[in-house]
Amino acid sequence: MKMKSINRGDSFLESSLKIFVLVGAGILFAIALSAFVTHDLIDALKQRISSPVLILYAEIIGFVSPGPRYIIYPFLVKLKDFGLGAGVIVALISGHVLIEPSTAFVEAAFFGYKFPVKRFFISFVLVFLLGLFTVFLTDYVGWRIL
Amino acid sequence: MKRLLLLLRNLLESTENRIGFFLLLASGILFLISPQKVGLALRENVGMAINILLLTIVAVIISAAVERFVKAEFVERYFHGNRRRHLLYATVLGILTPGPIYAIYPIVFSLKRKGVPNHVVVSYITGQTIIGPARIPFEVGLLGVKFFIYRVILSVIIGFLAGFLYNLSSKVLPDRL
Repeated sequence: MKMKSINRGDSFLESSLKIFVLVGAGILFAIALSAFVTHDLIDALKQRISSPVLILYAEIIGFVSPGPRYIIYPFLVKLKDFGLGAGVIVALISGHVLIEPSTAFVEAAFFGYKFPVKRFFISFVLVFLLGLFTVFLTDYVGWRIL
Repeated sequence: MKRLLLLLRNLLESTENRIGFFLLLASGILFLISPQKVGLALRENVGMAINILLLTIVAVIISAAVERFVKAEFVERYFHGNRRRHLLYATVLGILTPGPIYAIYPIVFSLKRKGVPNHVVVSYITGQTIIGPARIPFEVGLLGVKFFIYRVILSVIIGFLAGFLYNLSSKVLPDRL
């Protein structure tokens, strides 16, 4: 699909207005979608499953939870209180913000669809490794990060 | 009616407007699926939405300043080209940039206009999104200083690696020109 880019030929004011339209619509979509992320999804993290799978779940939940970053902190404190490890919390917090559905659309408009797709896959792999590394540090080396 | 359709057609000629329209439509569908849930979420988040829009204005002002004051030579020197250290600069710049994810796009757009390559932009976005000045009170207060320092160190590494891997992946799957 040939996409027109906002960085070609538009004035700064026009581009800024387009950004506001996109941001406004993105916020609305993020809020609407976040209404469907229930505590049941978060509860899945509490179940006894292996650390790598738990990290994957945390990442996916982080990814599908749109909204501003500070919204997730109450969840993180709860998870910490429930005894979940730093690896899962790191994966959730990082997965939540690295890329999300609404910003992927904004990025596609700026750079083309390949940009968010590649960024998503790279972020996904990196956050997973980050979670595993944190588990290694906390569970095997004995670092106390939290 | 004809005028309205014409106006709508003109508006939807732009890709960005089409995407904005799609997001509005998707939000409308979600609202129809569960008016109570979505309505409640909207009511609870009005203040936050206004905050983000206000911060977007700040980001647009910053991007205007970038546009006006950042000379092409600066961009050429610190962000242009394929040097790996540019990924590090971009990551650190991202970490130091305040504002929510939506609000940084005007800055990203400005950097792009200045000719910053996409993989360096990826490092910047990664650095900005994974951590930022606004998170300090949340993370230090709720999860502790050690956790925050650990995340800052990891963020520098991840930002660098994200740009590096993006560059590698672009050799297989090139971006649009």
